[in-house]
Amino acid sequence: MSPAATNLTPQSDIPQQTILIVEDEVLVRLVIADYLRECGYKVHEAVNAAEAVAMLQAPEVSIDIVFSDVQMPGDMDGFGLARWIRGNKPGVQVILTSGVERSADIAATLCEAGPLLEKPYSSQGVVDRIKQLVAKGQRS
Amino acid sequence: MGDASVTAFPRRTPPTILVVEDNVLTRSAISDELRAHGFKVLEASSADDALMVLDTMRIDLVFVDIHLPGSGDGLDVARHVHARGGPTQMILTSGVSDASAIPDLDDLGVFIRKPYLITRVITLVSYSLNWPDTPSA
Repeated sequence: MSPAATNLTPQSDIPQQTILIVEDEVLVRLVIADYLRECGYKVHEAVNAAEAVAMLQAPEVSIDIVFSDVQMPGDMDGFGLARWIRGNKPGVQVILTSGVERSADIAATLCEAGPLLEKPYSSQGVVDRIKQLVAKGQRS
Repeated sequence: MGDASVTAFPRRTPPTILVVEDNVLTRSAISDELRAHGFKVLEASSADDALMVLDTMRIDLVFVDIHLPGSGDGLDVARHVHARGGPTQMILTSGVSDASAIPDLDDLGVFIRKPYLITRVITLVSYSLNWPDTPSA
């Protein structure tokens, strides 16, 4: 009768990686953000490095990965943001990207190994997977 | 006949809301809460970005701050939506304490003053879009 709203896995059991997307081009940002949300990630959006820093400093917001464009308007570009994160939020992983295709590729890679694809999964398994992808993103 | 029962089934596609707000923490908080209530939410930080989104995709409701930095403000966004016609609804907001600083909205949409309770916004949006305000009610 009512739509099947059966959620056998309690929300608290789902490891939620939170990604902050930093991208000034609104249509690019929306597409990538939407895609990653569909994959099950919690996603925050920032338009520039200043907004990203504000999000990272907000006590109520917890970010695991920052996915940032290199070229951005404002006083700080993606490299500057990455340096700020290294100095102030060393636990946060950073993926820098440049160009729409590259962003889409990295998002797709994150998505492929995302937490919704393989159940059951352990939190540590997902963390390991994400870290692996971050390391891969930094190398390439 | 007049008492014919009507069963309202949830829509298959959640309404899409465009949140236009230059304060990232406010924008993020309201957007997150709207998503938690089942809406699809797009974010824009300026009038220019909002207009670009509005010209690109279907938006059911725009929640827009009147006072935005840059070349355009929230009223420009609201007037654009109004001039275009169509079903897109609008909720406008502002943090100015002086009521006279809020321009005549001319039926552009509902107004809610900052600071607002997020729950109040959710109720307003849900009511405007006739959308269940609980994720799995």
